[in-house]
Amino acid sequence: MQAWIDFGEGPLFRFSFVLMLLGLGRIFVLTLVNVAEAYRRSPDKILNYREIRHKTIAWLIPTSRLWRKRPVYSGISFLFHLGLILGPLFLTAHVNLWKLSVGFAWFTLPQGLANLLTLAAIIGALALFLMRVFYSPARALSRRQDYAWPLLLAIPFLTGYLMVNNTLTAGAYQAMMLVHLYTAAFIMLLIPFTKIAHCVLVPLSQLVTAVSWKFPAGTGARVLETLGLSERPTWVDKPRLDIAPVKLPDLIKVQSQKKEAKAS
Amino acid sequence: MKLTSLTPDEQHKAFANSKKTEVLHRQNLPVSYHVEDHDVQDRPRRFLEAFAAILKHSNYRVALEHYVRVSAKCSRCTTHCQVYLATSDPRDVPCNRSELLLSVYRRHFTVSGLLRGRLTADAGLTDEHIKRMAEAFYTCTACRRCHFECPLGVDHALITHLARYILSEIGISPRALVVSVREQLIGASGNTSAIPVPALLDNLEFLSEDMKEEKGVPIPFPIDQEGAEFLFLPAVSDFLMEADTLMGNAAVFAATGDRWTVGTGYFDGINYGLFYNDQVLEKVLLKIKAEAERLKVKKILIGECGHASRSAKFFYPTFCGGKAALPVINILEYTWQRWKEGRIKLDPNIVTDKVTYHDPCNISRPGWIVEQPREVLKAFCQNYVEMTPNRRDNICCGGGGGTVSIDEIRPYRTIVAGRAKAEQIRATGAKYVVAPCANCKKQLRELVEDNNLNCEIVGLHDLIYKAIIFDKQG
Repeated sequence: MQAWIDFGEGPLFRFSFVLMLLGLGRIFVLTLVNVAEAYRRSPDKILNYREIRHKTIAWLIPTSRLWRKRPVYSGISFLFHLGLILGPLFLTAHVNLWKLSVGFAWFTLPQGLANLLTLAAIIGALALFLMRVFYSPARALSRRQDYAWPLLLAIPFLTGYLMVNNTLTAGAYQAMMLVHLYTAAFIMLLIPFTKIAHCVLVPLSQLVTAVSWKFPAGTGARVLETLGLSERPTWVDKPRLDIAPVKLPDLIKVQSQKKEAKAS
Repeated sequence: MKLTSLTPDEQHKAFANSKKTEVLHRQNLPVSYHVEDHDVQDRPRRFLEAFAAILKHSNYRVALEHYVRVSAKCSRCTTHCQVYLATSDPRDVPCNRSELLLSVYRRHFTVSGLLRGRLTADAGLTDEHIKRMAEAFYTCTACRRCHFECPLGVDHALITHLARYILSEIGISPRALVVSVREQLIGASGNTSAIPVPALLDNLEFLSEDMKEEKGVPIPFPIDQEGAEFLFLPAVSDFLMEADTLMGNAAVFAATGDRWTVGTGYFDGINYGLFYNDQVLEKVLLKIKAEAERLKVKKILIGECGHASRSAKFFYPTFCGGKAALPVINILEYTWQRWKEGRIKLDPNIVTDKVTYHDPCNISRPGWIVEQPREVLKAFCQNYVEMTPNRRDNICCGGGGGTVSIDEIRPYRTIVAGRAKAEQIRATGAKYVVAPCANCKKQLRELVEDNNLNCEIVGLHDLIYKAIIFDKQG
């Protein structure tokens, strides 16, 4: 088992961590490139930077507006994110490992606070999961990954908490460590390719939205040209009476044919 | 904000489909608004082609690419959508509505979607899905209120805007909008209400005479004045239906003495392109540009109309010359400015009833016109009250996004979409609801009628006209 742990601590961690950084860096830069390209295409260069900045900061540090609606859910969500971000970054045990491998360290949290943050992440994850299950609009929105994420995120926090705060037998400790390392690596590998990418993309959201409302001139005509519809643009095309009315039985037949084709 | 839930009776009325069965069959589109007869074959393919073409030539891809990555499905927007507050139907959660289009994007325009399609033999976009989109994106009033509540910064109204654009390219858009636009862009009258120029001139002359009698000073409507400072473009329906607003506008100019003009070449501020098709948006703005150049005016002045103001203010620079484009202002800004300069005098003893102000989404949501009308109103209305919520967070009248022009969905608008607004108005107990937007006015009047509210819907300039004082020198 120790060999697996060594692998998880060493190559696997390095690989997944670097891949996460590269992946997140890639989409961050790509988004910026897209924004710049869109801005260049639009003749309208007026952007309300003050508003963009204001909205961005208001959501990154949501201390004032978060509580206005659904305060309980908002509070849990806020603490969850706080624990999720600050806990792993400033945990003494983690920082010490960094010091051993890269040679420098940074500010660490007192163990008591780190424990609280870890608990916030674990309880928050469970609460958010339950909210998804029992709040009907959230259930309607949720995909499978939306249910899976809070549970998956809770695992490394839970194992970490147990390892730090319990006296475990050597076997149990190793098992915990194994789960801790491998789920963490798995999460890091997934982050750039899933909705968790919002951890780096959210600061760009307001800018992206503002720029997307800036249209290039002449889009409509070019779209019609591409579609080969320049002669009869959709905004003016008179009802096409030459089309034979489609009767309901026909449609049913067509659809059943399609279904059969699909099935085969 | 808590709303009483819909009774089964209301539910039935609001979502009843008034169309004949044969029409539904022929068009193969069970949406509640009327559409024209277009090709019904192969809709998924044509939708995807249109989608691809639009993505290629526009800036929407930036937003979609970003939104599919960040959208975390957190469901915070449920607290902010007035449609969802009324129906409690999960399909009306803004994020859920947007997902209809985002899922198509994810499936057909991202690598992972294409791969997944291959691996799972997913057939992709279906006719059923298009039907769902056609209905869903017209139950949204595109008021942009949910954007404020999205921690991830997703703008659902942008998605609604895009989805309607794509749908219009395959012939799915409300007939009410298309017919008006057809008249505006290629019809004989050149405006959405099909008002011929002689009728317009007659009407304006009549209003002028009326005003002279009432106020004792000449209040003209200058026509085709070359070199005037302002080209005035109200929602064209104001010329027929909002005489009081129009008289208020003219009275303000008579008081300030600024040179303004109504152009007979083009006098319609309405731009339904904002609601369903970007090419229409562009073409209408180009008509405004042509008229502004013909009359050599210095500024474009939009009347009391939310969507006309937004489409001109935020898209005129896009389509009409970038930085060199003429400045666009709204009449509320103009009146406020002149009133601050002391050039308009208002009698504070005329309007004594309780007055409240409704913020039209299109001008208040961007934070553009929020305090100006309030300052003017507070100055001469003795009994001014606010609705809650208000200002940039105000609730949509329920007829936004062009839905107000679709008469066949009036029950939906007054029972569901305007439900929150009706409650808000009722809570203020105001006699006058000032709604400086042609669409809001129409919707609110229907709302008042259908919900038995006891108040009158007016424009800001209706009240100004009542209260304005002229120095009587002739």
